[in-house]
Amino acid sequence: MTFYLSGFRNFPKLWKSNPYFELGPAASSASFFLTVHCVTGNQQRWFSVKPTTPPNSKTLNLLVAKARTHKKRNDSNKQVSSDPHYFAAGAAKKRSHLGGNPQNQDHALPVRSTVQLPTKPLNSEEWDKLKEDFKGKVSFEDFVISQMARSCSSVDVAKSLLAWVAAKHHGIVGYNLLVKYLYLCVFHKQTSEVIDVYEIMKAKYKSLESGAYTLLIRGLIHSDRWREALLLLEDIKKVMDPSKKNYGDCIQGALLHQDVDVAWSLYQELLGRNLVPLLETLKAFFDYGKGINDDHYSNKLLDVLLYLRNNQLYPGESFAHSIKTWFESIPGRQWKGQFTTIQKSGQCSSCGRTIESIQLSPEEYEFLKEKIMRDVIDGGDQYKKTTPQELKRFESFVNTCPPFDIVIDGLNVAKMFPKGRESQNLLGVVSQLAQQNLQLLVLGRKHMLRPSSQWKKDEMEQVQKQAHCFFTDNISEDDPFLLYATLNSGNHCKFITKDLLRDHKACLPDARTQRLFFKWQQGHQLAIMKGFQKSKLTFQHILSYDTVVQTTGDSWHIPYDEDLVQRSSCEVPTKWLCLQRKTQAPC
Amino acid sequence: MNVTVRFFRPFARCLVPYTCHRKRSNVYSGVLRRYMSSKVPSLSCHNKDSASPPEQLELDGWKATMKSSVQEDGVSEVSDKDDSLAATRELIEMWRLLGKEVPEHITEEELKTLTECASKSAKKKYLRYLYGKEKVKKAKQIKRQMKAEAREEAKRARSLASTMGEEQQDFMFLRLWDRQINIALGWKGVQAMQFGQPLVFDMAYDNYMKPSELQNTVSQLLESEGWNRRNVDPFHIYFCNLKLDSAYHRELVRRYGEKWDKLLLTATEKSPVDLFPKDSIIYLTADSPKVMTTFKHDKIYIIGSFVDKNTQTGTSLAKAKRLNLATECLPLDKYLQWDVGNKNLTLDQMMRILLCLKNTGNWEEALKFVPRRKHTGYLEVSEHSQELFRNLKKTKTLNSYRKGSLSERTWKR
Repeated sequence: MTFYLSGFRNFPKLWKSNPYFELGPAASSASFFLTVHCVTGNQQRWFSVKPTTPPNSKTLNLLVAKARTHKKRNDSNKQVSSDPHYFAAGAAKKRSHLGGNPQNQDHALPVRSTVQLPTKPLNSEEWDKLKEDFKGKVSFEDFVISQMARSCSSVDVAKSLLAWVAAKHHGIVGYNLLVKYLYLCVFHKQTSEVIDVYEIMKAKYKSLESGAYTLLIRGLIHSDRWREALLLLEDIKKVMDPSKKNYGDCIQGALLHQDVDVAWSLYQELLGRNLVPLLETLKAFFDYGKGINDDHYSNKLLDVLLYLRNNQLYPGESFAHSIKTWFESIPGRQWKGQFTTIQKSGQCSSCGRTIESIQLSPEEYEFLKEKIMRDVIDGGDQYKKTTPQELKRFESFVNTCPPFDIVIDGLNVAKMFPKGRESQNLLGVVSQLAQQNLQLLVLGRKHMLRPSSQWKKDEMEQVQKQAHCFFTDNISEDDPFLLYATLNSGNHCKFITKDLLRDHKACLPDARTQRLFFKWQQGHQLAIMKGFQKSKLTFQHILSYDTVVQTTGDSWHIPYDEDLVQRSSCEVPTKWLCLQRKTQAPC
Repeated sequence: MNVTVRFFRPFARCLVPYTCHRKRSNVYSGVLRRYMSSKVPSLSCHNKDSASPPEQLELDGWKATMKSSVQEDGVSEVSDKDDSLAATRELIEMWRLLGKEVPEHITEEELKTLTECASKSAKKKYLRYLYGKEKVKKAKQIKRQMKAEAREEAKRARSLASTMGEEQQDFMFLRLWDRQINIALGWKGVQAMQFGQPLVFDMAYDNYMKPSELQNTVSQLLESEGWNRRNVDPFHIYFCNLKLDSAYHRELVRRYGEKWDKLLLTATEKSPVDLFPKDSIIYLTADSPKVMTTFKHDKIYIIGSFVDKNTQTGTSLAKAKRLNLATECLPLDKYLQWDVGNKNLTLDQMMRILLCLKNTGNWEEALKFVPRRKHTGYLEVSEHSQELFRNLKKTKTLNSYRKGSLSERTWKR
């Protein structure tokens, strides 16, 4: 019999407490679970002992195994250390590993097929026989061709299936079979087959649907009849917007057949529809550009780079290589490219130039400040996050205080170290910062002032002595105030929280403002790494430079994503491509 | 055909390692199959081009018949008047052929709604909705047909039987139960209008909802009104902030039909704050920091009639804050072991919970109406379990058990 005495309510959370599972599955499999729930009310505590149904030993063993592998992964992750900054690519993932969050591994379910897919063309008797063996809800032909498409069978096998179907149904093959066959043809790059199917479809159906159009476009661009792909694109436009893939395929087709003008006009159209082009498409332009020596064309490529800059897109690794080779192939200019990283000081390791600063320009700053006030705090309904009275109180408070150096999210900081008392944590951080003679603002909620086991009165008084404090109502949100107080104090002011503030970013109306906010956040957010009483307070270091495609005329610096690193949307790449002209050519 | 393929087979055999065919054990079969199917095709293709033109002819035979069978079954007639609508219709038809979830028949009006959808995914969603609707309708029709047939059958059998023997029976009542019940409910409803505890539905949320959400809300309102009517001691329902000729009002009138004017509830354009004293109002919202402990019979509870699929959290809390009203939420966490899903309950669930609380005051009983899928069971905070736990603690069985099991485990390791 085992007792799990834990504060965790539901079973999956037990994963977090690895030690239990380390003990081994032997004893637990025979036991029934007696979970002890601990419900914390306002003051009193109830305990209830409640037998839950024993999970069978198999699932338990699975859990144990999972917990073990999980731990192992954690350990291996710990060895790979040295993450450069809070927003570096892959950092969030690493943090979540260290925190020991349960990983939802997606087990690839085995594809259950009742039919052994043939590996060679069958004759009609064999198909008949296969069909007899098949039991399933969908029709046999559908099922088989879907399986073939999934496992990329050879075109001939599919062809023999179609021949069999056609023989059975007086020469008619269903549209869905045709489309899946077309998929196989396109996948295996059998252009002549694609054209055959295209002819059939054109003859048999007046119009097609987007899936078939997409496949046909992709198949046709490699053939001599690639211009018909453009007509198909027009057909799609009649009913719905073509996807960026459609455009990308057409552009690549045009480039394959040296029709640069068509490619650029399609690109313009793509941008005009507010679609974000695939990076492959942009890469295709660069790849094609290697061959030609044309100022007009290279200007357009530089425009593409500016597009990347404005939309904060980062090329992939292979794309970065393409850019590099294109630059190096420009005759007479002698560009030299190098893959590198940026030093903490914001200098490129290879050329030593300083990368653009992370600070916003004054106009941008004002713009962001106003947007935060209007959309994040107010948001059309002041009562949602705060109340008008509180807003007024806050504004007058901010205006009476001198500009702050650091704004602290009290609750976030206090809860950062679960070992200590919350007020103690907060006091620790505040007093360490106060020693450096900084103007501090601590934002919190009113309940922090009410003495309790977590919040000691004398400690809070000390906090209030060392820092300016503002306490919002218990049901108000404190983060928007944090943002505004920081922005209001000026560019030098930083804020401390571990929160990634994604929900507030989402409140902002458009992508441009969100990017602006993110840039400001990168430059002003201090995330505590450690700082619990004994150890000295240390922060994740702040980026001093902006991670964005940038140029100084005779040099380009282009951040790119490595293929093997997964970057989440709130992170920026760490690898750079540095391009510079070797000799200053007069131009 | 027979001959050609047989000729072709040895080819494939020698390409694929023969043992694979034979030794396909259960475990590896899947892997092998995938491996082979990905490997083989390219090889066989190469060989085929060079080796065997006759097979190609055979395999391509269907193409000729496809092409020749063409124009006979030309898909649809040309309609010039509305090009984009017709094109959309064709697109849907093609999607249907592909086995996607789109409706078989679509009306002009629905088509127009479809073309007005902003994005591709919105279009697909709408089509899927229509598809589901069509399917349900069809299933109902079939069921109705079957029922009608069965009824016909029964009638015939009865008519046969009735000719046999016709006997007189004595009854106390005529069979007018439905009407009797309705009258009784109506009478109780009038009582509630006079003396019942008010329960307010706040209808001020119509600008926060999309049309589909609004329709769901109205369905839920209808259902909760029905539950209330059938209760032993109904509430006196108020529909507050119900603007005349708003979308809400129109939809309610449409759904209730002529019954709308005879409903035993109060519909008003006024806000609840105007009707009742402020300090006796309690706004029920899941975002409230305050938890409801008991049902108070002298308070006026407000439920926001708001279906929020867009997760605009805190809308009703903001509303209550603006009017400076007390708020409460149901003690779901206290009594239930919450598992999945939103803490927001539907209006009819709220209504049934409140009715149950009003009549019995028993939380366990009342929270039966919380959907079972959302929680894994009741938390037992009863005297009995507390007692048990205290005992365990006292005798320290808990610790010894735990220790014992620990040591046992380590040994086995």
